[in-house]
Amino acid sequence: MHIPDGFLDPLWSIATYGVTIAYFASILKILKKTFSPEKVSLLTVLAAGIFAAQMLNWPLPGGTSLHFVGGALAGIMLGPVYGSLVLALVVTVQCLIFHDGGITALGANLLNMAIVDVIIGYVVYRAIVKAMGLSNKSRFIGGLLGGWLGITLAGITCGIEIGFSPQFPYGATITVPVMGSWHALLGVIEGVITGLIIVYVASKNPEIILADKVKKH
Amino acid sequence: MPRKALLTIIALIIISPIFGVILADIVGYHEPLDVAAEKLGLKDISEEINWTPLFDYSVPGLNPVVGYIISGFIGVSIILAIGYTLMKLIGEEH
Repeated sequence: MHIPDGFLDPLWSIATYGVTIAYFASILKILKKTFSPEKVSLLTVLAAGIFAAQMLNWPLPGGTSLHFVGGALAGIMLGPVYGSLVLALVVTVQCLIFHDGGITALGANLLNMAIVDVIIGYVVYRAIVKAMGLSNKSRFIGGLLGGWLGITLAGITCGIEIGFSPQFPYGATITVPVMGSWHALLGVIEGVITGLIIVYVASKNPEIILADKVKKH
Repeated sequence: MPRKALLTIIALIIISPIFGVILADIVGYHEPLDVAAEKLGLKDISEEINWTPLFDYSVPGLNPVVGYIISGFIGVSIILAIGYTLMKLIGEEH
């Protein structure tokens, strides 16, 4: 999921940086109003946990591999604003310290993992919990579908970014189906893990799952 | 930081090379992004423009398994340090 240097057309690199900067600038106001030591503490623990979890790749013999991303999990736990911040912290440290994900692709990687995955995960979870009523069953299904759709759409967005380039006029017709189908398949694992973690957290500290509450951030 | 969360993170980092290095080498770690990029012939130039000694979670002079674990602890420490600094700043403001 981490786009390296060399994959993105310069125009896409600039455009994705622009969208990502605009998004984070737009949530700054909310952050300024709601920032508290408790929020930062939760954000930091979750970011550290997701960073560690992302180091566990799932290599599948003879097939395509994937690692846990955690965007939907962060969105469900802390809401879209703080969830985005969690993934932004993880993805930026990965890029700057370990060169995991290119510097020219940092805008795109943040857009995919810290924005698309986070927001979709949150929105889907909220919709499921609202439709089914709050229970461990709805939490698991919400986490499963949120995690799955979040990573699938993040994969498709990634496919669009690397596929649309002046060099490859029809590149996206190749990259989008590849990224979409593989992520839709492997994203089930992401969904199951997300659902299980949400149910576990709900059994210990249900009050910290922000998407279970009506308030949005 | 809650003790249970810290222990979970330490455990994840310690077992991470099994998945991130050993099994990945055995089966040939290959993400959907690599598949898509191969089809278009895109070239990863990360190594050519690399700026960090900890490239791809390795530590110069150390074996990949140990380097991966140390990288994990470095990454988590940096995240916790950023969080701690932010908490301090907010605490002072309040």
